[in-house]
Amino acid sequence: MATIRNQPAPPHPDEAPSRTWRVNLFEKFPWLKRVVKARSFQFSMILPNLLLFYLFILAGLFGTPIGSRNIIIVFVWILWWFVLITLMVPLLGRVWCTMCPLPVFGDWLQRRALVKVRSGDTVGLRNKLFGLNKRWPRKLSNIWLQNFGFLFLAIFSALLVTRPIVSALVFGLLIGLAVVLAYVYRLRAFCSYLCPISGFLSLYSMTSMIELRSVSADACQKCTSKACVRGSDQGWACPWYVYMGKLDRNNYCGLCMECVKSCPNDNIALFARPFASDIKLKGYDEVWKACIMLVLALSYSVVLLGPWGHIKNWANISESGNWGGFAVYASATTLLALVVFPGLLYLVVRLGQWLARAREHTSRELFIRLAYTLVPLGLLAWIAFSVPLVMVNGAYIISVLSDPLGWGMNLFGTAGFHWQPLWPAWVPYLQAPILLAGLFWSLRTGFHVALDLFGDRALATRALAPLSVFLTAITMVFLALFVG
Amino acid sequence: MTKKMFGMIIGAVALLLLGVLALGWRPARPVERSIIVEAEKYAYTPAVIKVNKGDRITLRLKAKDVTHGFFLEGYDLDAQARPEMPLFWVRRPSTGEAYRTVEEVRFVADREGKFRYRCSTTCGYMHPFMQGELIVQPNRLFPASLVLAVGVTLISLLRFARAGGT
Ligand code: SF4
Ligand code: SF4
Ligand code: SF4
Ligand SMILES: [Cu+2]
Repeated sequence: MATIRNQPAPPHPDEAPSRTWRVNLFEKFPWLKRVVKARSFQFSMILPNLLLFYLFILAGLFGTPIGSRNIIIVFVWILWWFVLITLMVPLLGRVWCTMCPLPVFGDWLQRRALVKVRSGDTVGLRNKLFGLNKRWPRKLSNIWLQNFGFLFLAIFSALLVTRPIVSALVFGLLIGLAVVLAYVYRLRAFCSYLCPISGFLSLYSMTSMIELRSVSADACQKCTSKACVRGSDQGWACPWYVYMGKLDRNNYCGLCMECVKSCPNDNIALFARPFASDIKLKGYDEVWKACIMLVLALSYSVVLLGPWGHIKNWANISESGNWGGFAVYASATTLLALVVFPGLLYLVVRLGQWLARAREHTSRELFIRLAYTLVPLGLLAWIAFSVPLVMVNGAYIISVLSDPLGWGMNLFGTAGFHWQPLWPAWVPYLQAPILLAGLFWSLRTGFHVALDLFGDRALATRALAPLSVFLTAITMVFLALFVG
Repeated sequence: MTKKMFGMIIGAVALLLLGVLALGWRPARPVERSIIVEAEKYAYTPAVIKVNKGDRITLRLKAKDVTHGFFLEGYDLDAQARPEMPLFWVRRPSTGEAYRTVEEVRFVADREGKFRYRCSTTCGYMHPFMQGELIVQPNRLFPASLVLAVGVTLISLLRFARAGGT
């Protein structure tokens, strides 16, 4: 089988230092449990998005080439993106994956069913699954492909978010890839290892205020069926190949809720928890993801939201044709994300290690664990970046609703709505506190990570000191861009 | 971390902050400023305009390639310029009025802070991101937020180092 990504949990999740409270939502809202246990749950969540998506892709292919008048651009890159990054991810984690239409055709190829479940025996799983069911290569069982894929797409983002046709083609390509991978490989190889959205969802869902976990670790230990991961006649094997008994982070659970249905011991529940409760990064792939995301937030803030026209022209390559400029922009972003930024991070971590005279930990371990501090700050920097997106460009939603293809229709009489930003002068007053909150959460979780590593407040503080300066400096750079 | 080290860090930071604040609070005498803004896909020249609070601004807008807009945040001003035209068009968006033809626009920069001017007439692919910045000094939010960033960090570290709270 594919590698199990979830290493043994700490003795009990509640002992993690950042956890002050935890509420079992299934106990509190029994209707919620009934809803997610319904066989039709996930498909009902996907269906509306599938229909919308279909409309968006058509609009991308046949609608106006002007982004701000085409529903695919306005709804995906303004509305969807904003809701995803400011609400879904911080509050509900990977809930987008619950309703995401991209893998639905691939799922169907494997399951030949949209709602019902089929028991059987396929490669050790207790369901009948179609397709070749090959094993995903072990070497690629990490998020490096997602890292590179996302960075690549991001470099072309100025085209992606302004050209309807580019958006439509990229989404089509992703669906196609998901189908091919679902046919060749078992379970959701596309989601786990390739989907460019998946990488940042996995990283930032560590902060989210919900988690799906087993209720009793003991019950899992005694459980012989392991139906959560292997499936049963009640639910499909976990498409992400997660064994609930050891799940201790949100990263690689797509919240499809199959395990809730298949667990014979009724041992899985959705919990509410404090912001940024998962604080353990586990590999270089995840560290680089955190670096890439933060650098991209910075790069987008400069390129898209900055006043510098020549940089916009470099990024807007298909129109400007300035390949020299594009090379500068692309290589600067790539170098910063893959080399310079991780390098600086490594330096400040080493400095902290030296200050704390910490020899019992390898610098690799400290680097990976402390890189977590980029997660809350990165997420909030993305949110700060997205605030003007919706307050300023959100006005296009109103006109595009009436004229989704930009063909001059007027379905609801709002097509003529003149573009008008919503309280734009207040944007910096929202962005500054958002960034400061990100800094606060980064430091706080960084301290918990350090305390976890050193078990001593004074040592933890020393180890964290240089990193705090680094994080403060990053915050200041964003402040300079947004409010300076 | 020793108390002495913290004392030194806090001292250094306090000095830095005082410097920043002093810069931010330097009083400036209002002056007349005449500014010509040229719009060309997908930027304005000048990209950043820095003025002091109270300055009286006379603004002219020119478009070099295609028709561009100029929506100035915080000052209830929306304009439009067409290529090869010495005159341009303005309106107050809050009133919903139509554009009026003008030669120049005058206003007093009486609201401090950072305000973007954005293209309000669809002019091409990157149009939604076409923007420049009017900075009316003192832009107090900026030094204040820098101070807060340093404060958040120092207070967090102090709290971590001490036994008791988290
Ligand atoms: S990982 Fe990507 S493709 Fe898979 S469900 Fe999530 S967003 Fe959709
Ligand atoms: S099926 Fe249920 S009890 Fe068994 S291991 Fe999975 S979550 Fe635990
Ligand atoms: S752990 Fe459960 S909810 Fe998460 S992906 Fe697997 S089956 Fe779905
Ligand atoms: Cu323009």
